Amino acid sequence: MSVTVKIRRLDDVVIIDLSGRITIGDGTLTIRDTFQELVRAGNSKFLVNLAGVDYIDSSGLGELVTFFTLVRKEADGQVKLLNLTRRVRDLLQITKLLTVFESFDNETEALKSMRN
Amino acid sequence: MALNAPKTFELIIPSRLEALESVQRLVTEAALEYKLSEDFAYWMELSISESMINAIRHGNRCDPSKNAHLRISLNGSELEIIVEDQGTGFNLDSLADPTETQNLLKPSGRGILIIRSFMDEVNLSVSEGGGSRLRMVKRLPESAR
Repeated sequence: MSVTVKIRRLDDVVIIDLSGRITIGDGTLTIRDTFQELVRAGNSKFLVNLAGVDYIDSSGLGELVTFFTLVRKEADGQVKLLNLTRRVRDLLQITKLLTVFESFDNETEALKSMRN
Repeated sequence: MALNAPKTFELIIPSRLEALESVQRLVTEAALEYKLSEDFAYWMELSISESMINAIRHGNRCDPSKNAHLRISLNGSELEIIVEDQGTGFNLDSLADPTETQNLLKPSGRGILIIRSFMDEVNLSVSEGGGSRLRMVKRLPESAR
């Protein structure tokens, strides 16, 4: 199964629910297009929910990092992660990306952290 | 009665990213044959996929006339994986460390780190055809089966 993307909004925060496999090729292209469209539309606060992601490769991690830098540069905004599975958390630990992304296990807490 | 040797799995694919789906299928098949746990199979698939992506993109420069070769075998409790490309070779030591502060926000360069974090041995040499030959070994812990 490739990646599935669902978009929700709560106030000024865009919540991106990702599920499935984020792998080089169709998977990374799908999320890259989604991320770019959302930034072009003027959004600046993003919560990426990875609860349903059972596999992500280094290219998928690269898309998350590119999104993070794009949002900071173009929108002076923020990207945070929600509901990391154990495997995704391990991968972010190995690559030290947990030092880049703030992550939460609770959506309410994550949203609270994004309010000014 | 002679015991059957564990099956060896081999795959040769052209250097197109779409061909990686067949890698996923082969790894799933091997994990079932070797009775590996779901968690172990996940990290094995990730390591093998990363090495095949390297072979296709960095070794063969996505030239579809060049192939990437994968071989998975089990010797006792030692899993051996060999990935070969038909490129001009590269040096593992010359790769930048993606965990260094100045590299953390780079979009690529994490594949070998992921492979090394899972495998017990990772060695790069020149293949018979002149390309790169990446040999990876993982000793199966009790929890792997």
